[in-house]
Amino acid sequence: MTVIEKIFSRAANKKVKADDYVWVNLDLVAMRDFGGPNVVKEYKEHFGDAPVFDNKKVAITFDLHIPARDEKVAQNQQILRKFAKEHNIRLFDINTGVGQHILLENGLVKPWDVIIGTDSHMNLLGAVGAAGFGMGTTDIAAGLYRGKLWFKVPRTIKIIVDGILKYPLTAKDVALYILKNLSTSGALNRAIEFFGEAIIMMNLAERITLTSMVTEMSGDIGFIEPDEPIFEFLRGHNVTDLEPIKSDNNNEYEKVYEFDISNLRPQIACPHSPDNVTNVSDVAGRKVDQVFIGSCTNGRFEDLKVVARILEGKRINNGVRLIIVPATMEVAMAAEQAGLYRIFLESGAVVVNPGCSLCTTGHPGILAPGEVMVSTSNRNFIGKLGKGAEVYLASPATAAATALQGVITSPMEL
Amino acid sequence: MDKLLSLRFRGTSWHFGDDIDTDQIYPGKYLPLTDKSEMAKHAMEGTDRGEEFIKNVKPGDIIVAGKNFGCGSSREHAAIAIHGAGISLIIAQSFARIFHRNCINTALPVLELKEANEIQDGDILEVNIETGEIKDITQNKIYKAEPISELEKEILNAGGLLQYLKFMQG
Repeated sequence: MTVIEKIFSRAANKKVKADDYVWVNLDLVAMRDFGGPNVVKEYKEHFGDAPVFDNKKVAITFDLHIPARDEKVAQNQQILRKFAKEHNIRLFDINTGVGQHILLENGLVKPWDVIIGTDSHMNLLGAVGAAGFGMGTTDIAAGLYRGKLWFKVPRTIKIIVDGILKYPLTAKDVALYILKNLSTSGALNRAIEFFGEAIIMMNLAERITLTSMVTEMSGDIGFIEPDEPIFEFLRGHNVTDLEPIKSDNNNEYEKVYEFDISNLRPQIACPHSPDNVTNVSDVAGRKVDQVFIGSCTNGRFEDLKVVARILEGKRINNGVRLIIVPATMEVAMAAEQAGLYRIFLESGAVVVNPGCSLCTTGHPGILAPGEVMVSTSNRNFIGKLGKGAEVYLASPATAAATALQGVITSPMEL
Repeated sequence: MDKLLSLRFRGTSWHFGDDIDTDQIYPGKYLPLTDKSEMAKHAMEGTDRGEEFIKNVKPGDIIVAGKNFGCGSSREHAAIAIHGAGISLIIAQSFARIFHRNCINTALPVLELKEANEIQDGDILEVNIETGEIKDITQNKIYKAEPISELEKEILNAGGLLQYLKFMQG
């Protein structure tokens, strides 16, 4: 069986296989400050004051427009705070960070779990062997009410990544390289299981980077078999009753891709698609107006450490703005303790409070027409960060090197 | 009262290409809107024919698109806005998972058709979603789409997922 077949079989209390339609029990239902208010509206409209299926299995996270940027957002947050109080649901307010990371840091995610949330990058939970799914408001309202949801069991693709990942090469370069080969529809409605030397060696932050970008491949979920360091992280964050989940790694996969990253150079996705990928050196020298380092894909402590290593003792280029955003408050605290904040601030960066930040329009820092940004985020769709702007996606190392030079720069050239 | 699902559709096609993402279908700046009729005014606004669509779309019209329609963020606004603008049905080569779910859950039928790109913009279509038969009246051609699953048909018939859950046993 594939990993997703195993997880869905357990959650459905019957044996299921790819292409089956099945009702599945949910371990956690999450919503956030965007999407969430519409969920509450739908829920109240259809189910009135009925209690949620299990208030211990529901969480609300604020990560998009925090603190509230205008009155409408403030009202939306108010709706969620009120709903949380009424139903005795845990709410992680504006001082916490990116939702999926907050769930991971609060013992709400473990291998085998089926989790839905109003965020299209919920699938990064596959980094710890959980099945996370981004859903629309109706799905979330349904999950809140019944604690179960319908699924079509996805077929599974196997991706093997051989070779050793070595600084300044990162998991982001691997993710972009895979995207280049698969395209943005290459894993459409599929699960992915990752194997290979490069994957086994990845820490949690790197696994999150890779599994988060399964969304950009149009995949449902990407799994990496959790190992001892992952269990250690989860135990350290209040997860009990941990149960390993194993990949059978047999021949049930619809397709197999094999990549060798031994000679891989830093990768960059050019405007306006995450699969428009080339070597950083191919576009080196392009003038940049802004650099963003953060997001659910690249906002962890390990990501910031790479950035600090490059920025330490230096000033960013005069013509460029650098915005750094830790994924969570836990990450921010670790970065502060390790002295990274001082390095960032002295380099000329703006360090923003933890959250999603520059992943969508409507957040401070969006671009004017004609401006160019290098971002460690996961999407560069046209218009997403300002009409007429151009966004390149790259690793934290490439982003930091670019901020120093003011033009797109490979970290290998520093 | 939610109207029960009609099985037959007749409408004019609006052609869109591959990989139309939800930012194009419903730009992120309108995410704070919660009123459905307000949301409908911005359907397809981010596409290269956004203005034309909003000005000319008529109730019953059908969107015909390439592969991976509705990719990108999970915003249900995208499905709600299209439905609200009067679109009765979407035919595409393939759909992004979340968008596909959002359509079924809000009772907007979707059909997958490999040959979707053969249908021209402005063609008059007659569609029976139960058999999957698509008649292109303008070109005098008949296509057979992937049949929708029983489970999805039940949800569409109930008027959407939340309506369905009220009657669901177990």
